[in-house]
Parts: sequence; structure tokens; C-alpha cells
Amino acid sequence: MTITVEPSYDDVQMLVDEVWTSFLGSEEPLLPGAPTDLAVGWSAAVTVSGEWHGMVSVELPTGLAEEVTRRMLMVEETLDEDVADAVGELVNMIGGNVKSLMPGPSVLSLPVVAAGRVARPSDSVEVCRLDASWAGTPLLVSVYVRKDA
Amino acid sequence: MYALIIDDSRAMRSILRRIVTDLGFETLEAADGQEALDHLNAGRIPTLCLIDWNMPVMDGYTFITNVRANSEWRDITLMMVTTESEHGQIVKALAAGAHEYVIKPFTPDAIADKLELLGLVAKAVPA
Repeated sequence: MTITVEPSYDDVQMLVDEVWTSFLGSEEPLLPGAPTDLAVGWSAAVTVSGEWHGMVSVELPTGLAEEVTRRMLMVEETLDEDVADAVGELVNMIGGNVKSLMPGPSVLSLPVVAAGRVARPSDSVEVCRLDASWAGTPLLVSVYVRKDA
Repeated sequence: MYALIIDDSRAMRSILRRIVTDLGFETLEAADGQEALDHLNAGRIPTLCLIDWNMPVMDGYTFITNVRANSEWRDITLMMVTTESEHGQIVKALAAGAHEYVIKPFTPDAIADKLELLGLVAKAVPA
């Protein structure tokens, strides 16, 4: 089995941090976190197809997904559709920037969002796993690439 | 002065609305390119469009080509605001008629700087 080119951990960490700081503020920094068995409340993924094939996903506990939504929409109360929208936009930005690091041209999909964990293609393998913590709550960003047959 | 914000994400439209409202714009919103064209066809002609690339129904690139095909809309300033950052796509959008290109994530200052360059907002004067 061979694996196509993959983004470095440092690059993914840098761009996730940039997305986080730009839209959620810098008062509460995104910190490296220890791998943990995350209680996933919401997750979202985008796929990249073309010269590079991969999938980028974000997994968040419910409380964190709701806080992200409150910050992005500047609202007090969140509806599930708001959370789905905010988490989807988050992975869209992270995925789009991962795509920019990889060989192109390629096409970015619209985000797929799930209450719970999004399914990943069975023919993919995780090549980058960023465990992080924001305001004391863990979250996970993963990059998968398609395995060659 | 109206800005039409075209993005399928309500969260992103909300963020952009706050930024351009602070810069003195009133806003219209659309969740895709077709909805944005509906605004224009109904006579709601903005000074500025902020346009995402990847959207359902009609993407931002197709919206730009539609706008540029209509001479009555030639005065509208078109600014892409998108995660699409491949050089080829930036060139393609600018060649189709976009005036500026902003890559997400962005800061409010980045949007303000671009609008200042386009002459749509006054240059900030240091206090």
C-alpha cells in the first residue's frame, strides 16, 4: 500500500490556528491537546478531489460546537441548524487551506455536517491528526488521504 | 451604499455583514449565486458584491460571469471572499471580472484594506 502526498502536522496546526484566531478571537488560544476519546457532538468534513484526493474533518463536543456558533453568529441561543452551519464553515475554511498546501488543481466539496461523527471513506487512511484544546475543551482535526489499491 | 453578501454559510454572512456595516454599508444577502442574480434582476443593484466560490445551486464564479455579461451591471464591484486559494482559480476569477480576491480566513482589516484600495471606503487616518 502506498499513500499519496500528505500535509505536515505543523502546516495543519498553523492553518487551524489561523482560522480559529481569525473567527473566534485570540483571547482564548487554541492549545495542543493530548489524544483523547472525544465525545463527538458535531463533526463536519470536506473532500478534495483532483491531483490530490483527501478528506479533512473536524470533530467537536456539543458544548464547544455551540460556543463556536455563538461566537461566529454573535448570538446567545443556538439552533441545531446554526451549529451545523458554523461547524460546516469551520471545516470549509480549514479544508480549503489544506487543499492549498497540496498539489493541484483540485476541487473542494461542500461541507458535510453531522450531529455525531461523519463517516470517512473506507478507502482512506488518517495521515494527520491534530488534537487540540480550546477553553479547556478538546477537539480534533484530521486529514485523510485515499489509499492506493 | 449597498453590499450584497453571497455565501451559503449564514455564519459567514453574519461575519461579513458586521464588517461591512461597520464600514458604512447597508447589506443584502444571498445564499447562492442564483439568489444573488434574483436580487439584481429585481433591481436591487449593490455597489459591492462579496462572493464565495463554492456554493450550491450557482457558484461564485458562474455568478461573476453572469454579472459581467450584463452591461447594466458593469459598475458593480465584485470581490471574491473564499477558501479557494489555488493560483489558477484566483487568475480565473480575476479574468472573469472580479476586482479583488480575499482568501478565508481573513481579518476585518483585510476586508477594509481591499475596499479602501477599491475606493469604496475612506482611508483610515491614524489617531
